[in-house]
Amino acid sequence: MKNKQIWETRPLEFWDKAKELRARWQESSSDAKRVLGQGSTYDIDWAECFPAMNIVEDNPGGSMIQAKDSPYARKCRLASEIRGWGREICGYTNNLWGSMYLGYEQDGLPFPPRKFVVFMPAECDQHTKRGQQCRDFAPVPGWMSDCTIYLGEDDPVRDELFREHKVYCNFKQINDLERIFGQKFDDEKLSKMMDYSEEVIEYSRDIIMLMGRTIPSPLSVKDLYSVYTIGHLTKVDPEDTVNFWKMVRDEVQWRADNQIAAVGNERFRWVEAHPPSWHFLKYYRYMEKYGAVCLGSQYTAQNCGLLEYKPDGGIDRRVSMKYPKDTPIATREDALRMMLGPDPREPRAWKSDEYIRQDSIVEFADIMRADGALLPLWRGGVGCTLTRKEQAMRLRKAGLSVIYYEGSQPGDRTDLDEQRFLDQLDTWMESFGYEMLD
Amino acid sequence: MSAEATITRGADALGAAFDFKSLVDKRHDYARAWKAKTGGKVLGWFEPYFPEEIAYAAGMLPVRILARHEVDDISDKWIYSSCYPVRDMVNQLLKGRYDYVDGLVNVEGCQWMYNAFEVMMNNRESLFYHYLFLPDYTNAATSKDVAKNEFAVLADRFKGWTGKSITDADLDAAIEVYNHNRLLLRRINELRRADRPVISGSEMMNLVLADQVMDKAEMNVILEDFIKELGLRKPGPDKIRLMIVGSETWDARLEELVEAQGANVVADELDNGTSYYWNNVLPQEDRLMALALRYLGRPHSALKDNNYRRRPQHIFELAEDFNVDGVLLEKQIYCHSHGSDMYAVWKMLRERYIPYHYFERGSLLPEDETAARLEAFLSMLKPGLNHLAGWHKKFGED
Repeated sequence: MKNKQIWETRPLEFWDKAKELRARWQESSSDAKRVLGQGSTYDIDWAECFPAMNIVEDNPGGSMIQAKDSPYARKCRLASEIRGWGREICGYTNNLWGSMYLGYEQDGLPFPPRKFVVFMPAECDQHTKRGQQCRDFAPVPGWMSDCTIYLGEDDPVRDELFREHKVYCNFKQINDLERIFGQKFDDEKLSKMMDYSEEVIEYSRDIIMLMGRTIPSPLSVKDLYSVYTIGHLTKVDPEDTVNFWKMVRDEVQWRADNQIAAVGNERFRWVEAHPPSWHFLKYYRYMEKYGAVCLGSQYTAQNCGLLEYKPDGGIDRRVSMKYPKDTPIATREDALRMMLGPDPREPRAWKSDEYIRQDSIVEFADIMRADGALLPLWRGGVGCTLTRKEQAMRLRKAGLSVIYYEGSQPGDRTDLDEQRFLDQLDTWMESFGYEMLD
Repeated sequence: MSAEATITRGADALGAAFDFKSLVDKRHDYARAWKAKTGGKVLGWFEPYFPEEIAYAAGMLPVRILARHEVDDISDKWIYSSCYPVRDMVNQLLKGRYDYVDGLVNVEGCQWMYNAFEVMMNNRESLFYHYLFLPDYTNAATSKDVAKNEFAVLADRFKGWTGKSITDADLDAAIEVYNHNRLLLRRINELRRADRPVISGSEMMNLVLADQVMDKAEMNVILEDFIKELGLRKPGPDKIRLMIVGSETWDARLEELVEAQGANVVADELDNGTSYYWNNVLPQEDRLMALALRYLGRPHSALKDNNYRRRPQHIFELAEDFNVDGVLLEKQIYCHSHGSDMYAVWKMLRERYIPYHYFERGSLLPEDETAARLEAFLSMLKPGLNHLAGWHKKFGED
């Protein structure tokens, strides 16, 4: 069954702006005047409130190393492995810290040493240990927090203690950073950051909704992946971030209104789970030859929080519990409390779902009007793999066609058999009677 | 739980030979018999930070879910990757080997272990389940309050489940039984410091594993008898002294292989070895806070050894105190906790010139390969380089 192009396609206009912001982030990351620290840019939203501090995560650094330069990535992982890091440990981590052990980056420049570490609070154990290589490598100060989780109904007493624990951890981090590095934290900016963050979430929600609810989809996840870290893992000025995401939303809206497709011959829609193999994104383009468009995953929808059916039958993002906007903020702790929100089990919007509400992937696939699911099985990423097989069972039960592919980890190409992967995709598409477009 | 509630005493449970391995092998029969006798609930637990005292105070028998080596034709349907002990657990639990268990508790820790827990939640809905959060950031000023409250929530859930309130007197009794148990284990462990220990590494490991599946009051009686017997034993032969560090091991096969090579394991830093019984609860008016401080202050597992690094130093002190000649670093394949923590241990051992051998393993030890590796490692530990006086004569060297 061959399929000709039916829908109009157009290049994305926000592309140039995305590249500009990305380059700006890259430039600021290597700005020697700013104190470079290691931390989770998702969990410490206040990082931007230090004027001369630059906090980066080992991602996207780790994934970029693999995506851009496989021989160098292999060298990095080996440098980690011979120092005692397990070969099945997250590729992001071993790529970036292997680079630290080697002493140079993939462009040959010296590896920029971190001056401090903030461990990443996460459900994923490998995230929890992230930063440890860096911390053990040089005697730099480090701080921690916790990813507080429990199962079952909300418990106000537990919530209160968890919340105050997290406020304490963040408060200590900020105060200690001020003291040690002699920088003044901008408390005013912290309040503004929260507003910016809300705006970006709303735009992201619109984009994911448009991708999922419009046929043909105006944006594929391959395109979204090219920009979706902007303002998150790749932090730029908050105002620029908001403007950028508004620009993306407006363009995607226009494309949806005018039936401009991401894939001109769209006839098959699929969802995924967690990140793809960053060095082998060509499988998205390969699938496009079958008229198949990828709509992303709960992972890609994380910027807006998870979409869900509402009691009235409508669809919207799952809204995080928030304190009222007029809640008085008299102290830094108050501001942090506002930032962290009243629900200490956040971010329940995406990953914790694998713990708490595993059927949410089925709901997501339904909202995205997916015909199938392509699920990675990552050997080296515990957080990337947990409950994956159970999710597949649920998706199949809901009537979706599901296939797996195996690999080491999104940032580690070692175990991914690329040809076999493409063969699997051929077989999958052929099972629907689809042939490649000439 | 009172001592009257126990089923057997001392040597009756084991026979005269103190065959702890057999007790581990027959642990299901033991738990079923305990249940039939007492009518109490049996609670399975997964993670090393589970405060057993609270379950014990509620009249339950807390048993650790131990991995075994059984053909696994089930777990692959439910989980991908994952270390083999977790797969073993899922295999056993789904096959009903633990059919006497009334509930399962998981403590914030290893994510694979959580995987086994949630597979069970999705498959055996009739059981009691509880997920207990214990901070990874163990030494924050607020961590102890969080842990204490989590323990209070656990006690409350037990009350809702069993109908029994846990009183201060119950907690005091449980803490006393457990403290005494840990004290006895430490006393036995101290005997391993001797140049010629009266207890072998395999015997000690089987003993500690048995301890984790038995009623502690009963086990205490056995341990007291066993200590008396140990006092009558003649010192063992001079042997190379090894220490085991790494992922939980679940049986004593590695120790047995070491012994077959003419060496002995005299120390370990394993979550189901010395770390299980290393520190006691220091009694205070606020019982739950006392428990919180004990569990946050126990030797860190690899996963929780983040901000406040304690493992390398603790391992070094053990190696020094127990006069070890070399260290075996074993890691379960897919054990991300130890896979991301070994570095610090390697570094410390290298810096202190302590010989070590690192290897990966599944649940089943690849015996021939491991034996060959051990042989090579042991032959490397030449006499005279290390501490042991006397055993160099065995090799004909001065």
